[in-house]
Amino acid sequence: MTPTELFLQQLVNGLTIGSVYALIALGYTMVYGIIQLINFAHGEVFMTGAYMGLALFLACGVAGAGLASVPLLLGSLALGAAGCSVLGLAIEKIAYRPLRQAPKLSILITAIGVSFFLQNAVMLIFGAQDRYVPSVVPAARWQVMGIVLTPLQGLIFAVTGLTLAVLQGVVYHTSLGRFMRAVAQDPLAARLMGVSVNRVVAATFALGSALAGMGGVLFGMYYSTINFHDGYLTGLKAFTAAVLGGIGNLPGAMLGGLLLGLLESFSAGYLSTQWKNVAAFAVLVLVLLVRPRGLLGERLAEKV
Amino acid sequence: MLTSRRFLGSICTAFLGLFLLAGCGNREPVLKIGFVAPLTGDQAAHGMDMLRGAELALEEALSRGPLIPGCRVELAALDDARSPAQAVAAAKKLASDPDVAAVVGHLNSSCTKPASAIYHEARMLHVNPVSSNPDISRQGFDNLFRVCPTDDLQGPAGARFAIERLGAKRLFVIDDLTTYGRGLANEFIKAARVMGGEILGHEGITQGEKDFTPLLTKIKAIHPDLIYFAGMFPEAALLLKQRFELGVAARFLGGDGLFEPTLITLATPAAAEGAFLTTLGADLRAIPQAGAFVRAFEAKYGHLGAYSSYVYESTGVVLEAIRRAGRKDRQAVLAAMKQIKEYPGILGVHTFDARGDTTLRTIGIYTVKNGKFEFLQAAE
Amino acid sequence: MKLRKSALWALVALLPLVDPNPYRVEIFATAALYALLALGLNVIVGFTGLLHLGFAAFFAIGAYAYALLNLRSGWPFWLGLPAAAGLAGLAAAALGLPAIRVRGDYLAIVTLGFGEIVRIVVTNLEPWTGGPNGLMGIAHPTIGSFNFGVDSKPYYTLLALWVALTAWACSRLARSRIGLAWAAIREDELAACSLGIDASQLKLLALAIGGAIAGAAGCLFASKQGTITPDSFDFILSVMILAMVILGGLGSVPGAIVGALVLGTAPEFLRGFASYRMLIFGVLMIVLMRLRPQGLLGGQLIRRKAGSGDAAASG
Repeated sequence: MTPTELFLQQLVNGLTIGSVYALIALGYTMVYGIIQLINFAHGEVFMTGAYMGLALFLACGVAGAGLASVPLLLGSLALGAAGCSVLGLAIEKIAYRPLRQAPKLSILITAIGVSFFLQNAVMLIFGAQDRYVPSVVPAARWQVMGIVLTPLQGLIFAVTGLTLAVLQGVVYHTSLGRFMRAVAQDPLAARLMGVSVNRVVAATFALGSALAGMGGVLFGMYYSTINFHDGYLTGLKAFTAAVLGGIGNLPGAMLGGLLLGLLESFSAGYLSTQWKNVAAFAVLVLVLLVRPRGLLGERLAEKV
Repeated sequence: MLTSRRFLGSICTAFLGLFLLAGCGNREPVLKIGFVAPLTGDQAAHGMDMLRGAELALEEALSRGPLIPGCRVELAALDDARSPAQAVAAAKKLASDPDVAAVVGHLNSSCTKPASAIYHEARMLHVNPVSSNPDISRQGFDNLFRVCPTDDLQGPAGARFAIERLGAKRLFVIDDLTTYGRGLANEFIKAARVMGGEILGHEGITQGEKDFTPLLTKIKAIHPDLIYFAGMFPEAALLLKQRFELGVAARFLGGDGLFEPTLITLATPAAAEGAFLTTLGADLRAIPQAGAFVRAFEAKYGHLGAYSSYVYESTGVVLEAIRRAGRKDRQAVLAAMKQIKEYPGILGVHTFDARGDTTLRTIGIYTVKNGKFEFLQAAE
Repeated sequence: MKLRKSALWALVALLPLVDPNPYRVEIFATAALYALLALGLNVIVGFTGLLHLGFAAFFAIGAYAYALLNLRSGWPFWLGLPAAAGLAGLAAAALGLPAIRVRGDYLAIVTLGFGEIVRIVVTNLEPWTGGPNGLMGIAHPTIGSFNFGVDSKPYYTLLALWVALTAWACSRLARSRIGLAWAAIREDELAACSLGIDASQLKLLALAIGGAIAGAAGCLFASKQGTITPDSFDFILSVMILAMVILGGLGSVPGAIVGALVLGTAPEFLRGFASYRMLIFGVLMIVLMRLRPQGLLGGQLIRRKAGSGDAAASG
């Protein structure tokens, strides 16, 4: 491997991890943008999405690798998205809505409670052992200029990019998006103007959770193993990414995710794996010191 | 809504109630064997497999008649969630229960270490199944016995195999930053250097992480002959799979944490093919006296866990000590244990050295062939 | 009234000492340790309103400071305790120096980052900290010729006294001029500054005091365990301490203790549910918070805050 090939391969590695972070970070950022709540259970929703994909594959009798099937791929993504949006709605209704009048930090506790609940529920249903997730995307390997790419990586890039585009469209060009921006700016004024705040918040949760669900399904297929603990570390990273980019800002979440992925990849590649999280967090701290609202956070003043 | 004073009051009442409740209970004679392993958390799967080993051993022993006449023998299984603090709490729970006469316990070396001090203080027989960190038996505890070989044997055995048998000279070492992983990796490196191996790098990964492509890409660029991994199978599976996808040519050797058939499923058989691993003890299926255990276990629970046999063995040792003691008494059980010169188990005939470590010191070497573990050789 | 309340507290505190079961004493000793941590974090989050997500770092610094001073230089516990507290307090202030410029949830992330950095550095500095192996053989406290050993009772006694002392100091602090200034910063930093309050200095002071309390807790933990490994100081611990403070009622000193008692002992008392225990623990957290959104002992302080319009969006 030449130094250039090494660099390019690390770039691809970083962008792949980064895209997964970005997809989850979008959900964090949406919820935060609307009600300034750090949804700590979001990582767990993501993990549950990965298991929903697995459940579908098991039900359809897919076992080994390499079986390519477009309907199954679309089906699993749809199930992950639909299942997780229902889950997101339920979490919002049970654990967050009753506390929206309470001090902001109270919701942190119910969020942690939901995290414990989901982790252990999944463990009881699917077992504590890591599970193998079959891939329904062809298991080819493309060699381009000495670097290795897989179709799944391509799919992850595509889904993440497409999602951001669709979300931007929803937020800025639909009535739901207008309501969301209104609630983000001033919930009381929005209610006086006839916006059902509860519905808008619920829709935001459903949308954000659907993204996490799709992210989970892709994550499961890409790494081929899932565990009920996976939501914690990946969720934490995605959350960091959202803040890095400027929480509440959609392109910011995307940027933050990709940047965090690249940071991890390059620091693991050129420094040491052991120190990569130090590098990632150090950059995060530095960015926040220079730009206290994250990289693209300026728009937070007008809130999404 | 409740007022804060009433709330405080009800909390106090609840705690008082718990104290009173705990005070009652039946007084029929029962002897308990403590068992501790991670039954929740990310290593719960290992813990459950271990628990089954203990349950099977007890069940088989009881089917041969009562151990102590007029006294029920049962298992008291506790969870340490692989957290050292919870391990200490669980150890104190067992130590404080007068019915508990001995304990089989702890998977992780980081849990076994602090817990062993509690068992020692309580003068309770402690048989450790699989924590292979050498330091554990160097604390000078006379109540501690261990049925598995230690990492100062496993590490060098792996190094010898890599250098002498595979001819690998340029080595890259990865561990999972746990007491077990780092300890084993250090033993491997120490031995490999003595044998003329060159260590190109030694890095730690975090348990629970999924993406090791940056590390593997870096390894690919410095093309070592072999990657040695000291850790557990979930991370090993990801390393194997990503190594395969990136086309890293270096061979792969791991420690006993990889010895779990799920490794091959998780990594996919194609990616796991040709990987090597060292195990504690020789091929279980090749030991005649272990055949009955394997059959019984698989008939009852399906799949045989990596550490089930060691827990079965440890529980067997404890049951033998209890049978010899003939009464429900910690001191007597410990004294009886010290009298056991030879214990014929499923892994072979154990004798215990001055530190309490078994003298069965075989390290097995396996490879993955056609999607299955295949026994290659035994190393002393 | 006040007497009755104090008597109630004393009764709760004495209960484990008459308990014949060392295991339950151990649970309460651990809960007392949590209470200490919660009291420390309460100074930062409750009194001053700085959301801190890396508090476990100061616990770790205190634990490792005592362990290293003891193992390398032979410092006894009673010298190690103030040293560990002092070092952790200094570290908290030093890390706070850049961090206090950021506000609100962003501060939470910066502190989360620092918390993770401290833990990873501790794991990676193997020649000093023993790396993932940790440090063992740390000396237990001694009084004269009496060694605390592994029995939980002396530790519980020491911890309970230490908690009482810390709680007393915290309540005094909350009513002092400094405490009132903290409250002013928490409620409205801009207004506080315009009144001539030096917000940066007071925030650093809060961080230093909170950090020192955690450092002392770390020293007590290390001396009690005898062995420490970096995995005892992870992000989940930081989150759990924060949960204890919030559950008890932000800014309430007895609340922090009750929150630590509830969340610190519940997983142990739920052991009977075997593999369902953490599931039930999760449900318990949701239910408790829905019953008492302002925290178990959260009083008017929070209500005033909710009324000020500063709380989250209304639905």
